[in-house]
Amino acid sequence: MVTVSTDSVEELQNGRDAHGLQATMLSDFDLKVTDAFGLRNTLFHSAPPGDEQEALPVPATLLVDRNGKVFWVDLAENYQKRSSTDLVLAAVQKHLD
Amino acid sequence: MTEKRGTVLGLAALGVAMAVSVAWFAVNRQVGIPDDRTLFVVGFLVALTLGVAAFVRGTKWYGGMAAVLAILIGIFLPFTMSISRQDVGASAIRVGDAIPRFTAVDEFGKRFDSESLQGHLVLIKFFRAHW
Repeated sequence: MVTVSTDSVEELQNGRDAHGLQATMLSDFDLKVTDAFGLRNTLFHSAPPGDEQEALPVPATLLVDRNGKVFWVDLAENYQKRSSTDLVLAAVQKHLD
Repeated sequence: MTEKRGTVLGLAALGVAMAVSVAWFAVNRQVGIPDDRTLFVVGFLVALTLGVAAFVRGTKWYGGMAAVLAILIGIFLPFTMSISRQDVGASAIRVGDAIPRFTAVDEFGKRFDSESLQGHLVLIKFFRAHW
């Protein structure tokens, strides 16, 4: 499992400690990875005060098979919504069947 | 007498604003926001209207404070809803695409190469930073 966000390495470490996450957490402060996947948000950019990011990725969940091909994508058309765990698990199950 | 009614309206406005906010943050926490958010918007607009009505009628100071809070909540939360829509460009990755090769720095400051994902079933999650 890999996560990508614009957080700095330090912020990622804090997040990892706070939530006990077990994932490779990548810091994409310059949006290079986000842009490589074409996932930069093109609509209104909202961020907390003091955040210097010019843009953020659209929250997205991708499932990638052993050959590096995407077999499931879920984009949040609204950032207040996220992929539900059930949906992701169902997609993995379907792929493995 | 009219002043008293305005005070009641102000307090009612805050009550509605608080109740709808609590419900809103509860569904947010569970990431269970319904597709149709009309009810929430209506709730906030009701609070906003009651808040304004309190001032129209005239209110005691505490009713006024409550009304101001209700008005702020009634404007702010629907505003955050209205700017929460997201979209990607035409070049966004799709099902069937191979993922691009990329490198980045991980949470320990170590270099990460997407080549290391080859041969593994991977879940990649993009998110809007720690907040």
